[in-house]
Amino acid sequence: MAKVEAGMEGMVDMYLFETTTLIDQLDEILLRTEQANEFTEDDINEVFRIMHTVKGSSAMMGFENLQKLAHKGEDMFFIIREDPSKMKDIGFVYDLVFQMSDLFKAEIEEIRNNPDYEGTDFSEMIAKLEDGARILKGELDEAEAEANAASAASGKTSAVSAGENQSVIRVFFEQDCKMENLRALLLLNRLKESFDVIDWFPKDVESNAESGTLIQEDGFLITLNKADVEEAVKVIEQSLNVDTYEIVKNEKEEAAPAPAAEPAPAAEKPAESKPAPAEVKKEPAPAKKPAPAATAAAQKQEKQQSAQQQVSGGGKQSLISVNLQKLDQLHDIVGEIITTESMVVSNPELEGLKLESFQKAARELRKLTDELQDSVMSIRMVPLVGPFQKMHRIVRDMKQKLGKNVELVIEGEDTEVDKSIVDNLNDPLMHLVRNCMDHGIEEDVNERIEHGKPEKGTIKLSATSSAGEVIITVSDDGGGIDTDRVLQKAEDAGLLTKPASEYSEREINNMIMLPGFSTNTEVTEYSGRGVGMDVVKKNIEKSGGSIFVESKRYEGSSFIIKIPLTLAIIAGMEVRVGDIIFTVPTSAIKQSFKITSNQIIYDTQGNEMIMIRGECYPILKLFQKFNLKTDITDFEEGILILVEADGKSVCLFADKLIGEQQVVVKPFPAYLSRYNLKAEGLSGCSIMGDGSISLIIDVNNIIDKQ
Amino acid sequence: MADMNNLTQQQQQLKEKINTASKSSGTEIAKALTFQIGDRVYGVDISYLTEIIGIPHITVVPGIPCYIKGVINVRSKVVPVIDIRSRFDLPEREYDDKTCTVIINYLDIQVGIIVDQVLEVLSVKAENKADIPALERVNNNKFIEYILETNDSIKMILDVKKLIFDDDFDVEAVAAE
Repeated sequence: MAKVEAGMEGMVDMYLFETTTLIDQLDEILLRTEQANEFTEDDINEVFRIMHTVKGSSAMMGFENLQKLAHKGEDMFFIIREDPSKMKDIGFVYDLVFQMSDLFKAEIEEIRNNPDYEGTDFSEMIAKLEDGARILKGELDEAEAEANAASAASGKTSAVSAGENQSVIRVFFEQDCKMENLRALLLLNRLKESFDVIDWFPKDVESNAESGTLIQEDGFLITLNKADVEEAVKVIEQSLNVDTYEIVKNEKEEAAPAPAAEPAPAAEKPAESKPAPAEVKKEPAPAKKPAPAATAAAQKQEKQQSAQQQVSGGGKQSLISVNLQKLDQLHDIVGEIITTESMVVSNPELEGLKLESFQKAARELRKLTDELQDSVMSIRMVPLVGPFQKMHRIVRDMKQKLGKNVELVIEGEDTEVDKSIVDNLNDPLMHLVRNCMDHGIEEDVNERIEHGKPEKGTIKLSATSSAGEVIITVSDDGGGIDTDRVLQKAEDAGLLTKPASEYSEREINNMIMLPGFSTNTEVTEYSGRGVGMDVVKKNIEKSGGSIFVESKRYEGSSFIIKIPLTLAIIAGMEVRVGDIIFTVPTSAIKQSFKITSNQIIYDTQGNEMIMIRGECYPILKLFQKFNLKTDITDFEEGILILVEADGKSVCLFADKLIGEQQVVVKPFPAYLSRYNLKAEGLSGCSIMGDGSISLIIDVNNIIDKQ
Repeated sequence: MADMNNLTQQQQQLKEKINTASKSSGTEIAKALTFQIGDRVYGVDISYLTEIIGIPHITVVPGIPCYIKGVINVRSKVVPVIDIRSRFDLPEREYDDKTCTVIINYLDIQVGIIVDQVLEVLSVKAENKADIPALERVNNNKFIEYILETNDSIKMILDVKKLIFDDDFDVEAVAAE
């Protein structure tokens, strides 16, 4: 796999898969339309869209050459889209696009397989596409383009496009003058002073020292307007270290004498590059690379051909897209297998029997089903790279709009979360990052300097996983939350439920997530309609998570999101109340303990509370809350479980603990959805080993509602 | 109970009425699974039926109307169960080895219905199908889609939608009782 920009590794696979699919789609459309001899508006739009997507994703991945190539293709179809009447006689468009798609395939193969991948130079193809675009515009006719292509094929001239009324000058420097690239650059700059330099090759003389070798071998190519050539030649003659120069004409016969190229084979190639369209479809255009680097070209061609074979041979993608529903189905079956397995292995009829080999086989089965479950779970897990990377773009755009200097730091983007959760994270994350940009980071740089912070603000997006939970933090080093202002605002909006003085800092900070709260007096493009933070909170809670704010004035604020690794499986503590079994998510449990009656404290309304390590917690009797029949109503007989959510705690009173296990979370059947069971404090149910159903307690809601 | 006796009388009259109609062996238009609740026979259209199981362990779910007994595990699916007796305001009885759960699938919503005893599958023909008199569409009669008359008795075929949903039915009132 090719090296890509740091942080993008995770996306290469996806990029390759997507691009391959798109290019295949492109081929399909082209083949179909060519056969039908009709290009509908939809087809044009579809091709345009494909080009556009490939361009965008290539740019994102940093594959500049592919981006450029797709860009040219897009340009061509842009012209077609603007004026579909151009589609009358466009045999050459098919050729070009097929050639392009072959190059794409080869390059994708290259990226996939070559760890030292370096972008192939597509300037030749790009030139062809440019010519194609010109033909479509009517600026160039096909014959000329062919001539262009021919001259392109006959030497490195291909690198620079020479249109009508343009000339290419090839300059050779003295053999031992060294630093050809710098000399070329100097020359180029001199020429630029007095003439309109249209193009040159190698393009990267300024930045790439290795281009010097190329110049030494093949010369430095400069495209100028024909009218300027004479004057330019004088300048070149006067330049230091220039050995020879020649004016390369557009016609292939005249291009032949190009020193480094072997004329004969080169001249034949272009003929091959224009085979009948039908052949193009099956074979990659043979003349991808001109003669000069004959061996390299041969290798390249081989590579392309092998790529072609691989692609046509059913492809060898390491990624497939699967309907999420099918995965759910698979997941259900695995859950069923696990349940059935324990039904078989711990069947009461086996009790008391001495079954040595059975036990051995049973253990083997357990091992395998565990593995099966793990791999099914892992299929649904996707890294957070996608949603995280999107934030770069948001920060970049907002940076410009708001004129704030901010850097986005991303950590732990390879943390994996269930697919369904990732999908629900996009919006909240976007909103939080926008919020940090807009409200968090100070408007005035001096304000930052005053508080000893660097001028450049930092927004940090990080993810870590711990004990079945993923913790995502969006933090900024901005001004923090102004608690006085928040409190005032909440009071104005009538959101306070107790005297203002009784609110803790933590409570005030979290007020910003109350519905209908917004501290920004002005509504901006990005945030500040007061519908933001409470929606974020709601969205996160929908995927079973929670969010809270930590903030220090002048130091910054952090939004901490806790979401379950997967919605489907949680670690839970089974507790019995009467003949019902409840599952309490282990992540919420602080501790469980037995007490004696004299530890109970009663408040004035007779509500029970208990003191643990100097803190007082209310007791919630589950049998009372859910109106269940049980023999154990005395505190000494049962057990207390201290649970915490959103910084609030309560002690649940149950009959007894059964044990901890991983449970597959199932939502309540749709039939029961009209009863608000979530508000009752139940988030779902799960099927246990013996086939009975346990009810999963929603700690958040049970604390709120008690 | 007076209501019920009254109803039985009505049914008798209806049965006689249907018996007087000519009986030719017409084509079958539907099939119905019949089951017994108390001393009466009801049925549901077989197209809604997915399976019949015994009485598994029922997990009580708090906060739902009392005719929904809770949830059961049917092939690793969590399915709510309705006791048809409490749905019909009849006194509940202990479940025995003849008590069955009929799993019904209505628009992909699975619901189990607890019945006293499952009887048989009957074919419904146009000529032995009769509408229930409009006057009788009160209380538990509202669940009845049509009446099926066979040689020996009449069966009330239930409207599955009305049985499991409460469009115009006041859940609160039932729960309060």
